[in-house]
Amino acid sequence: MGSVLRVLADYGPAFGQALLLTWKLTALSFVAGFALGIVVTVARLLPLRPLRFVLTTYVEVFRNIPSVALLIFIVFALPDLNVLIDYEPSVILTLTLVCSAFTADYLRTGINTVGIGQVEAARSLGLSPMGVVVSVVLPQALRSVVQPMTSLLIALMLSTSLASQVPLPGRELTALVAKIANDSAIGMAAFAVAASAYLVSGLLIAWAGAAVEKKVRILR
Amino acid sequence: MSRALEDVLFGDLSHKAQALTRAASVTVAAALLVLAAAVVFRFHAAGQFEGRLWEFFAWQTTWVFLAKGLLGTLASAAMAAVIALVLGLVLLLGRLSPLRLLRWPAIAVIEFLRGVPTLLLIYVCFLLLPSLGLKLSAYWMLTLPVGLSTAAVVAEVYRAGVLAVPRGQTDAARALGLSEARVFVHVVFPQALRFIVPALVAQLVIVVKDTTFGYVVTYGELMQNAKVLIANYRSLVPVYLAVAVLYCLVNYAISRASQRLGRRVQ
Repeated sequence: MGSVLRVLADYGPAFGQALLLTWKLTALSFVAGFALGIVVTVARLLPLRPLRFVLTTYVEVFRNIPSVALLIFIVFALPDLNVLIDYEPSVILTLTLVCSAFTADYLRTGINTVGIGQVEAARSLGLSPMGVVVSVVLPQALRSVVQPMTSLLIALMLSTSLASQVPLPGRELTALVAKIANDSAIGMAAFAVAASAYLVSGLLIAWAGAAVEKKVRILR
Repeated sequence: MSRALEDVLFGDLSHKAQALTRAASVTVAAALLVLAAAVVFRFHAAGQFEGRLWEFFAWQTTWVFLAKGLLGTLASAAMAAVIALVLGLVLLLGRLSPLRLLRWPAIAVIEFLRGVPTLLLIYVCFLLLPSLGLKLSAYWMLTLPVGLSTAAVVAEVYRAGVLAVPRGQTDAARALGLSEARVFVHVVFPQALRFIVPALVAQLVIVVKDTTFGYVVTYGELMQNAKVLIANYRSLVPVYLAVAVLYCLVNYAISRASQRLGRRVQ
């Protein structure tokens, strides 16, 4: 207990900044990944075969590739192709791509829960195909994926730990623990503090997700 | 019976719209080809097609080395899966126990292991345990944390399966005079397992992904061996591309197996 207090006294502000950076990486990549995932989902509905093929490949690749392998490729291999992306955008890009693939996958499942009869009805009322998608299918699909999206957001928050694998100027929680463990003998207490920060963040997301779910769920 | 959503959405297009769709398809295909050509040109412009960057892929030693890495990945993933399946069962039993003294610690352990990044647990085994006098081998510094965090998820998957078994099954087994242990072992758990086999197999994908952190503890898995190849041949892009393709293939195969199992169970 005493060493936890010492960690907080010595590294308190550093932990505050690390937690904020973890949250920032999580939020940016979730918003971007969610938006991109919606675009991919809708584009996959279009009756354009080449597009469907490419987007299905996209989803399978980014669902199955280990995030850290993707990050290392972006950070260390792309410069050889004269594509230079700074460390922080690289981390956000990695998590965005992975998040968008999972979002597209979950949304597709959500779309399958919408009754075909509704689509037929909307079409016969004269709505255009994209009109049906935007005002009938997507709203219901989005409401049905709150739970998997909450789990995805928590997984994404935990995945920000891979930022410790690149020399980011600021340190997020995992990188900070690694540094403290290297520098001093109070690593275990630093781990306890970081673990609590992750746990509390996860609980907050779970609680927010449950609140949203309660508000928007469709009782059938 | 039911038609696919796409067919209903675009099933009754006018001739004009159909022609438009066809034209759009061709345009998209052309745009994608241009994009692919641009990528190829970028490889060329950056000198990434030079023979020395690719020639070692023609050597058998390279593939033997990569295969060894893949084997290391699978060896670690397999052991982590075993740890997760066994410890997950222990955690499940604690979680379902009527005794608070067992239930609460089990819940705490599950929530803790699920809520902390695997990479952080790896750093604990790698940086912190040695200072406490506990020195693990590279294999265990990777496998143990991956197994532990998967165990917590597996425990929750088991629980979902157990809760999905109809209550009447338990009641009937009890009415026949089976002890609580026998009700679980002979009636509830086998049925629960049927529900969750696809989810358990899907969890394997996450285990394989997590073992990528093996290079952190210099355990000889695929990623670590790729780094060695890169150091030897100074060929970043080709090696990382090859490794990415290998990971995708392995995980895609597991995902497909899980989907097929899911269909069979239903």
